[in-house]
Amino acid sequence: MNVTWKLPEGGEISAEVANGLTLMEAAVANDVPGVIGECGGCLSCATCHVYVDEGWRDKVGGPGETEDVMLDMVAGERTDASRLSCQIETSEALDGLVLIVPAV
Amino acid sequence: MTLWTPTDDGYADLTSHDTFERGAPHNTFARLRREDPLHWTEYKDGQDFWSVTRQADIAEMNKNTAVFSSARGIRMEDQSYEEYLARRTFQETDPPEHTQTRMLLMRAFSRTVMAQYEEEIRALCCDILDAALEKGSFDATKEIARQLPMRMLGRVLGLPEADLPWLVEKGDALIANTDPDFTTHVLDRMETDEFRMMPFNSPAGAELYAYAKDLMAAKEAAGDTEGVLNLIRQPAKDGSVISETEFRNFFCLLVAAGNDTTRYSIAAGIQALCHQPELLGQMREGGDVWETAPDEIIRWATPALYFRRTALTDYQMHGKTIRAGDKVLYWFSSANRDETVFDDPFRVNLHRTPNRHMSFGQGGPHVCLGMWLARLEVRVLFQELAKRLKSIEPAGPHKFLRSNFVGGIKQLPVTVTLA
Repeated sequence: MNVTWKLPEGGEISAEVANGLTLMEAAVANDVPGVIGECGGCLSCATCHVYVDEGWRDKVGGPGETEDVMLDMVAGERTDASRLSCQIETSEALDGLVLIVPAV
Repeated sequence: MTLWTPTDDGYADLTSHDTFERGAPHNTFARLRREDPLHWTEYKDGQDFWSVTRQADIAEMNKNTAVFSSARGIRMEDQSYEEYLARRTFQETDPPEHTQTRMLLMRAFSRTVMAQYEEEIRALCCDILDAALEKGSFDATKEIARQLPMRMLGRVLGLPEADLPWLVEKGDALIANTDPDFTTHVLDRMETDEFRMMPFNSPAGAELYAYAKDLMAAKEAAGDTEGVLNLIRQPAKDGSVISETEFRNFFCLLVAAGNDTTRYSIAAGIQALCHQPELLGQMREGGDVWETAPDEIIRWATPALYFRRTALTDYQMHGKTIRAGDKVLYWFSSANRDETVFDDPFRVNLHRTPNRHMSFGQGGPHVCLGMWLARLEVRVLFQELAKRLKSIEPAGPHKFLRSNFVGGIKQLPVTVTLA
């Protein structure tokens, strides 16, 4: 699938990523600044925060219960579009997905 | 000039605390990464374990908590189930239990909350540095590195200022429980098992237990319900609360972890300044360097040399089988010098990016809770130090801690010229 990260200082990174990864792993593999993933996707750090672009929110869905608590601890501002990208799996259904990296 | 050259013969005994008194045995780690990345390490009384030394292997295993559990102990020494129960903290739990406890604490240690302490940290750093630097020649671990972390933890936890020196001393005795400079109860040289139910198997653990109990009674009497210590006593989502024993173990963990690790990061950073003189100029230039310098200093330091897991099921790797029940050590110290991940790993490069170091146990659920505080303290301390220095030089050889668990420079004589 193709995914685009819009960066807070302007500019964007687009990449073709394999299915079955998490979007945090995809971001780290593509050196997307601001998506760190310190805990490897174990819901222990809240450092892979992204905003899901408006048109994609229904398809991506909302946060799970633990993720919801962790989202209160993200460094940038939490909004309705906030997700931890370690909890979103890449798949063909999300081909073309646009994510926005929060300003910190 | 080289920073420091490892002197081990490539076959160092990783189970010996004495080995690490000469610094981490990096020639041994380099050989293991190259020849035997999953190494069966013999240890007295049948306590043998696997040593994992490559960064990529540790990254893969660390997140796999279904196979590699923390709930059987996190040090290379075996622990009876009774001792484990008496001494455990949330470090010795697995998700989802670990996640529940962590969620209670993370708020207090989040990046945003920590950022609010920056000016307070800066003021502390200025006091500490002004007092130390006017001496001209001094022990930088004692006069600088040792001072900041405990004073800061005291503020975060709301501890009385007057108690801090005592807590530093007890924290040292806990975590450096194998170094005769820090405790009279040197763990591997004692016959008694009197303190085996206490945190870190240490008499200081018993004293801190009593202190934590009195502290919380005093807080309760004063109606003080704020702060991290009260936070952890809140009921979890399922209504459970932590037991008195767990609470006091957690207090000991904070005193030990909050005290030593940042101290030895600061000490290693100062050692690097002494041996790579270009670093001071780069710091004085400022700007972008501060976004990457703290992590590089913390990579260079690697205060937590390893953490242990225990296999819950058989696991195949590098043509070998880790059996269910086997102990597995993730040697972060080795991963942070892995030449396949870091260019020129034995040099400090303040602009290193990306910097996939593992000093905080990155890549797993137990990633350091205090990492944002640690990064902030390191950044602010070196910003203030660089501002004041024209040059800094070693004033004699430095000495490492006698511990195969915590890596640190315990004595660092320096001479400074002020800017």
